[in-house]
Amino acid sequence: MKLVVCVKQVKVLGDEVGFTADSRDVDPDYLDLALNEWDACATEEALRIRERLGEGEVVAITAAPAGPELALRRCLAMGVDRAIRVESAAVDPISIARALAGAVGGESPDLVLCGVQSSDVVQGSTGTALAELLELPRVAVVTKIDWSGSGPATVYRELEGGLIDVVEVDTPALLTVQTGINQPRYATLRAIKLAEQKEIPAVPAPDRAEPAYRVRRMFAPPKGQGAKILQGPPADVARQIADIVKERLK
Amino acid sequence: METRQTFEGLAAWEIAIWYGLVALSTAVLVFGCARLVMKYRRGRRLSPVEHPVRQMVRSAAAVLSHSTIRRRHPLAGLGHLLIFYGFVVLFIGTVILAFNDDFTRLFFGFDFWHGAFYLGYSLFLDVFGAALIVGLVIMAIVRGVRRPFRLNYWRPDRQPGEYDRTSYVIGDWAFLGVLFFLALTGFLLEAFRIAQHNPAFEVWSPVGWTVGQALRGVGVTGAAAGNAHFVTWWLHGVAALAFVSSIPFTKAVHTLVSPTNLAVRDERAGKRLPWVAAGAASEEVGYRLITDFSWQHLVSLDACTKCGKCHEACPATAAGYPLSPRDLVLDLREASEGALGIRAALHIEPLFDVRTPLVGNLIRPETLWSCTQCMACVEICPVGIEHVPIINQLRRGLVEQGEMDSMLQATLETIHTTGNSFGEQKRKRPRWTRDLAFQVKDIRKQPAELLWFVGDYASFDPRNQRVSRALADTLHHAGADFGILAEAEKTAGCDVRRAGEEGLWASLAEENIATIKACAFERIFSSDPHSYHTLKNEYPQLGGSWTVIHHTELLLELIESGQLRPRKRLAYRVTYHDPCTLGRYNGVYEAPRQVLAALGVELIEMPRNRANAFCCGAGGGRIWMKELRPEGVRRPSEQRIDEAVALGGIDYFVVACPKDVTMYEDAIKTSGHQGEIQLRELSELVLEALDIEPNVAVAAAKAEEAP
Amino acid sequence: MSVLVVAEHVRGRMRGVTYELVTAGRALGGPVAVAVIGRDPAALDMRREGVDEVVQVRVEQAEFENDVYQRVLEMLIAERRPQVVLLGFTVNSLGYGPAIAVRLGLGLATDVFAVRRDDGALVATRAFYGSKVHADLEFPGKESVLLLLRPTIWPPAPPGGNPKTITKAAPDLPHSRARHQEFVEPPRADVDIADADFLLAIGRGIGDREKIPTFEQLAQKLGATLAVSRPLVDAGWMPNSRQVGQSGKTVKPKVYLAMGISGAVQHLAGMKASGTIIAVNTDPEAAIFGTAHYGAVADLFEVAEELEKLP
Repeated sequence: MKLVVCVKQVKVLGDEVGFTADSRDVDPDYLDLALNEWDACATEEALRIRERLGEGEVVAITAAPAGPELALRRCLAMGVDRAIRVESAAVDPISIARALAGAVGGESPDLVLCGVQSSDVVQGSTGTALAELLELPRVAVVTKIDWSGSGPATVYRELEGGLIDVVEVDTPALLTVQTGINQPRYATLRAIKLAEQKEIPAVPAPDRAEPAYRVRRMFAPPKGQGAKILQGPPADVARQIADIVKERLK
Repeated sequence: METRQTFEGLAAWEIAIWYGLVALSTAVLVFGCARLVMKYRRGRRLSPVEHPVRQMVRSAAAVLSHSTIRRRHPLAGLGHLLIFYGFVVLFIGTVILAFNDDFTRLFFGFDFWHGAFYLGYSLFLDVFGAALIVGLVIMAIVRGVRRPFRLNYWRPDRQPGEYDRTSYVIGDWAFLGVLFFLALTGFLLEAFRIAQHNPAFEVWSPVGWTVGQALRGVGVTGAAAGNAHFVTWWLHGVAALAFVSSIPFTKAVHTLVSPTNLAVRDERAGKRLPWVAAGAASEEVGYRLITDFSWQHLVSLDACTKCGKCHEACPATAAGYPLSPRDLVLDLREASEGALGIRAALHIEPLFDVRTPLVGNLIRPETLWSCTQCMACVEICPVGIEHVPIINQLRRGLVEQGEMDSMLQATLETIHTTGNSFGEQKRKRPRWTRDLAFQVKDIRKQPAELLWFVGDYASFDPRNQRVSRALADTLHHAGADFGILAEAEKTAGCDVRRAGEEGLWASLAEENIATIKACAFERIFSSDPHSYHTLKNEYPQLGGSWTVIHHTELLLELIESGQLRPRKRLAYRVTYHDPCTLGRYNGVYEAPRQVLAALGVELIEMPRNRANAFCCGAGGGRIWMKELRPEGVRRPSEQRIDEAVALGGIDYFVVACPKDVTMYEDAIKTSGHQGEIQLRELSELVLEALDIEPNVAVAAAKAEEAP
Repeated sequence: MSVLVVAEHVRGRMRGVTYELVTAGRALGGPVAVAVIGRDPAALDMRREGVDEVVQVRVEQAEFENDVYQRVLEMLIAERRPQVVLLGFTVNSLGYGPAIAVRLGLGLATDVFAVRRDDGALVATRAFYGSKVHADLEFPGKESVLLLLRPTIWPPAPPGGNPKTITKAAPDLPHSRARHQEFVEPPRADVDIADADFLLAIGRGIGDREKIPTFEQLAQKLGATLAVSRPLVDAGWMPNSRQVGQSGKTVKPKVYLAMGISGAVQHLAGMKASGTIIAVNTDPEAAIFGTAHYGAVADLFEVAEELEKLP
């Protein structure tokens, strides 16, 4: 029984930003790396399914260029059995999905879990695109998975406003998992250090494909004036707020 | 001749029975002790006793002087002192007698138990017997009449009705009762003996003599007294033997185990937490099962006398958190007994399965997470129990399995990614220096005499940034040569370690050590007691050893050397709160007080001060965790402000720790005392006393800001 | 540019985002066709200004299913060859939009909040790095582009207009591999904060769970709906239905009063389109002051107390 989790090592931008010379991306100096929060939930869910079923191998796969592998190490520290890196510099979701398809398909998974979106690019598309390439049934934005290990799974899809859509999906399937489905387990530093000893094979990506879009220009969002500061002691502030509210709700 | 006949009135076969009972009693005692030793051997050997001989001497000294028992409760301390010496002297008296009868007289024909020796002996024993009774009465009054909070068996981690402490109460009173019975029968049998023969020299046993005379007065003499003496003698003898053989099985075990614990404990318990080797297996990290405990900790569980001093001192207990250090120890003891002890060996309920994880079955995780690791419990415990390291080990076990408060988990992950608990980018760490009129040295690039390890709160929290600037201005004015690590500084990790994430602490420490080693300086100082503590006491475990002082010690140095000269006398009434990590952990009580004295303020001591200071509630990682307090109970920090305000007319509540600044600024507002008292960090008062020109850069910036 | 909008509906009611898509399509020039897929597409109102054509496709499934929408749309796109296909950036769209883009080789961009034509080419603007930067995207070499537009950015197309209605037969639908079973209502009969005109939002600054009732009371007094930022949901103090932000709801009330919210970009993403934003925070450096229209550097409890006292 095999569960595959697709994870992304996302780039985290702090409060300050500088751009590359061609203005198409942020200068890497301003970026830190981390495991995508949604993918942490996906990994945790895969581990829990494995624990519930009492069997199964969990494999974490990422598409990334050579470099720090902290996303995969974190997954290994959480308890996945194996990790694979597909050598790829793709950034848009369709290209990433194409890069992943070979490696994921090669594992013949019974279930593939992805996060709904990545915190840096936030397209929410990689999972569904990957499912299409693998011709797997899919459900996006899943908040609960009920599966006996074979046959269709019953999943909850969380719609806007909190309404739940209960869906029965044939397996093998690909599910994109929403945060809140679980609390990803903590990977102790000890476990992370031990994970650093494990080997992570790198596999080549398939030939370069057409990206879904091209960045023409990246820029800092236009800054507003900044807030007009309300002065005075709390009583005055409260009065001013009340006046503004009354005015705007007219 | 002045002596008396031992075993008077007993036939030879009766004496034989007596010795038979002695042998039986001794065998039971030995069996009990052996089972205890076997129980302790089930614990792990994590670290050896560092200085066994020295510690044995210290333990003996503590027991003989009762120094630890008398602290904070002199009356109960006196009571125990009288009971202790009373019993010991009487016991030694019997031993001396046995030595004379069964050894020297038997083998060497030498008898010393007569004449002047006998008289002195009699007097001594009577006086100490009386002392024993007085001691028991004192204890009975404390327990039965005064009924202090610490002896109340209420526990905060269970609902009423979920627990029954009747057996403890019965055991406590039975213990007093048995000793009283022994003392009473001892005097009575002496009195009966004297009443029977009435030798004049027995006036040297004043108590026995007086009672004896009274008995004679009511006609109890001769054969009647002799029979009464016989009966009382057997009662006393059998009771005494029964008592001695019961020691390993009852509350009386503390007489053996408590001094032992004082001799084998870790003298740096809690202050320097044990190190975990990198290659250790997951099961070896922390305490999950009762057999994971170190043998020393298993000993300590049995040393507990239920005195309740830790229960009384604990800030979590006072604020209704589901933690009482006493009850934690007692629960663990029940597990230890039920799994490994005499009860387990004899299959007497309640039993505890050795393979059952402690947390979740016996102990609630919230109990462990309620602890602020303030060390009030360890510090006051008369028998040297190490509640804080035990809680830390239990936390390590939970962290290793990823079972922790979700807010704590998020904070630990943030610390791992960003190197600070605020989640701020590291480039923002030195920003607090921007408003200063002078440039603070970057000690990575320029050597300086003092390396200032600033800490997270002092670098990122706006209120504490003001304190950092005040300190920087003060030091600059005093001509001190200092620098900071700027962006390279990571959180020192004191609370990370105390929260149980040993691997993260080690990782932070290694990075900080490498950063610091690359700098040129002579000493390190920190304005954060937590950073100060771990840099000084725990970084040496990983190879980082330097002279580390706290900023209050530095300020005192500068004042004493004349580099810092207060120009204004601050005529304030202040009170000072000893930070846990500076005070209890490191014994730095006087330096801040001497600084205050030099400023001319009037210092009114908090009722609970120095080693007895009451924790603000932020330590041990608690500031990063969910609230566990029940509704309606005041937080520890609010209770502390209540305590300060009750002193009357206090202008400033003075602190020397950034977390205290945060906690108490908040508590002043939420406790309803805003306007009655204000908070100042020590550096801020020092700066005020210097009466120097306000910071030029700040003044200019403010001029620009105002519309 | 020819635009194909896909209508989104649930439980027999059209979702507002559909009308916003129409407005966006109009701005690109049009013509705008709207595909309505469902068991009874005629019952769903598409009489809106800017809609040139309504294409009704009847399928067996009353509610949304991935495979169904994908097959129908692939058929429509192959037939009509629109230059732009517009979906809302919604949970439903994420289930099939990217799949179509992969299969048909379309350009793709999601969470787009601005589109324009530049020299005949389509340029879409979206945010990156957790909303901290924006970027203009282009789609060279793509005949058709599929865009998922961020809800509440474009105004909904007003009622009116007289669109042509076409009925199309559904394509041969193979077995739908992910099938709708039933709906489950959210656990609390809770308000939809996205509907409120006035939101009082509280964040980590309130410090403690036991402070929440104070603010619930204040919200009631002010006639506001209480909303929260993520930390309060993570801590388990409030349900996710109250959460404003990237992983919660995007809201656009007339007034958004934020107290004790620092302004993490994920939160800003969910409310920065609000009419008037007032922020109260003790930290003068709080990021929210960069987005708010009015701000007060003050203690939120004190201000809350004063607001309570007002008549």
